[in-house]
Amino acid sequence: MLEVAGFSAGYQGNDVLHAVAFRVDAGEAVMIIGSNGAGKTTLFRAMCGLLSPSAGQVRFEGNDITRLPAERIARLGLRFVSAERHLFPRMTVQENLLLGAYPHRPDPQTLSTVLELFPRLAERRRQHAGTMSGGEQQMLAVGRALMSKPRLLVLDEPSTGLAPLLAQATYKALRVLRKQGLTVLVAEQQVPLAMAFSDRGYVLENGFIRLQGTTAELAAHPGIRSAYLGVT
Amino acid sequence: MIANILDGIVLGLQFGLLAVGLTLVYGLGGVLNLAHGQMAVAAAMVVALAQAAGLPIWLAAGLGLLAGGLMGLILDLTILRPVYRLRGEARVLLSLLLTLGVSFTVEGFLNWRYALGALSLRIGGGAVEILGVPMRRGSLAASAITLATFAALFLFFRYTSLGRAVRSVIEDQEGARLVGIYPHRMLRLILVLSGVLAALVAITRAMVTPIDVHSGLSITTFALIVTVVGGLGNVAGALLAGLILGIVNAVAADLIGTYISLIILLGAAALTILTRPAGLLGVRE
Repeated sequence: MLEVAGFSAGYQGNDVLHAVAFRVDAGEAVMIIGSNGAGKTTLFRAMCGLLSPSAGQVRFEGNDITRLPAERIARLGLRFVSAERHLFPRMTVQENLLLGAYPHRPDPQTLSTVLELFPRLAERRRQHAGTMSGGEQQMLAVGRALMSKPRLLVLDEPSTGLAPLLAQATYKALRVLRKQGLTVLVAEQQVPLAMAFSDRGYVLENGFIRLQGTTAELAAHPGIRSAYLGVT
Repeated sequence: MIANILDGIVLGLQFGLLAVGLTLVYGLGGVLNLAHGQMAVAAAMVVALAQAAGLPIWLAAGLGLLAGGLMGLILDLTILRPVYRLRGEARVLLSLLLTLGVSFTVEGFLNWRYALGALSLRIGGGAVEILGVPMRRGSLAASAITLATFAALFLFFRYTSLGRAVRSVIEDQEGARLVGIYPHRMLRLILVLSGVLAALVAITRAMVTPIDVHSGLSITTFALIVTVVGGLGNVAGALLAGLILGIVNAVAADLIGTYISLIILLGAAALTILTRPAGLLGVRE
């Protein structure tokens, strides 16, 4: 479904990503783990059209989407939920959700599925997005992306800024979505959370993919155990 | 006094509508259009010429609105192109300079070809008494049209998906892109809308007082002041600020004099920036 090859990107001519390659197949949950500053956000921003890569290629469902603008990529069904969320703060929860379906007419069925998944959003439909807590905003960001019935959901650090319980609640919702057949790619520095969710993963360090494998393989790897899981 | 306030409301509604175009274009695209008043005047001259050619008023007015929208589109397709390549402060500054150039060009052209051109739309019939004050039918018709336009704008921005998409770009451009909204298409749409609104204000203004080829600068000035007081990118703020400043202007002009009233308006704008930098209804980021 998604294939990234030889992908390099950075800021002001300084690459922070170096020839990164990975893929996500339909129906999979794939994680990209790495510490803060490893290049996860740069990777996703360049992949989703918010930043121009310096080399490499991104293919999505067989089409080359490298360097397409973010709005084009979003319309193709690759939805990016940024760690900064980028909600519309002075619009209501409802309006944020409806905009998720743009330019199509919002599907009432999808809306009720989203509100079922995140009952908090249903309670706060008339409230302005900017007045909600971090956890609620994260739910709304995911819900807004779901309104478009995405082919692939890409999440950057969904646990950022959330209390442990809320972070777990977010992943719980993602697990429900997985069961419904959604393909998910997630970048995470809280590795145990991502591991409990994903089928496969890649380890990004200093802009290079250092390791890859199934979640079980990565969890058993001594380097991962000491660096990310706190096991010695 | 009541007469002044009513006059102020008539004027204020129009101020507000002028500011809507300016404020939305700025909020969406970081473009400050100093040719706004000249676009209004040029549209008024189209109406005047069409009328002189014998067209009925509704058709002439329609052509004027079309001309306004077309001028917005032309700005987007031509002079604003280099502006779109810039970001932040440089973008605002270049848009200021280039649209100032447009304003001189349009005004110079109109002054050369139609030096004595003016649009005045007389609406017949006697005065109508409101709160004991006789109001001209032209003023009432102008206010009714302006209010109806505001109502239509509120409905558009609140209840249509296109309207919500425009607002989303003002709120968070990156967020809008991530849901598949093309920010530049929204900006183009709003530039066209702002041209149509400028034309509409010129036409309704002509029902109250004649618009001549030199009215552009004062129209732009009023629109800018209302925009600043109302808050950038805020339609409700533009309406409220337009009404307040319209009343202040009418009362001050009557009590003190027209030139002083403009200074008072500028003072009000400066005071707003000092006390509420995001405008009357603005929310600080």
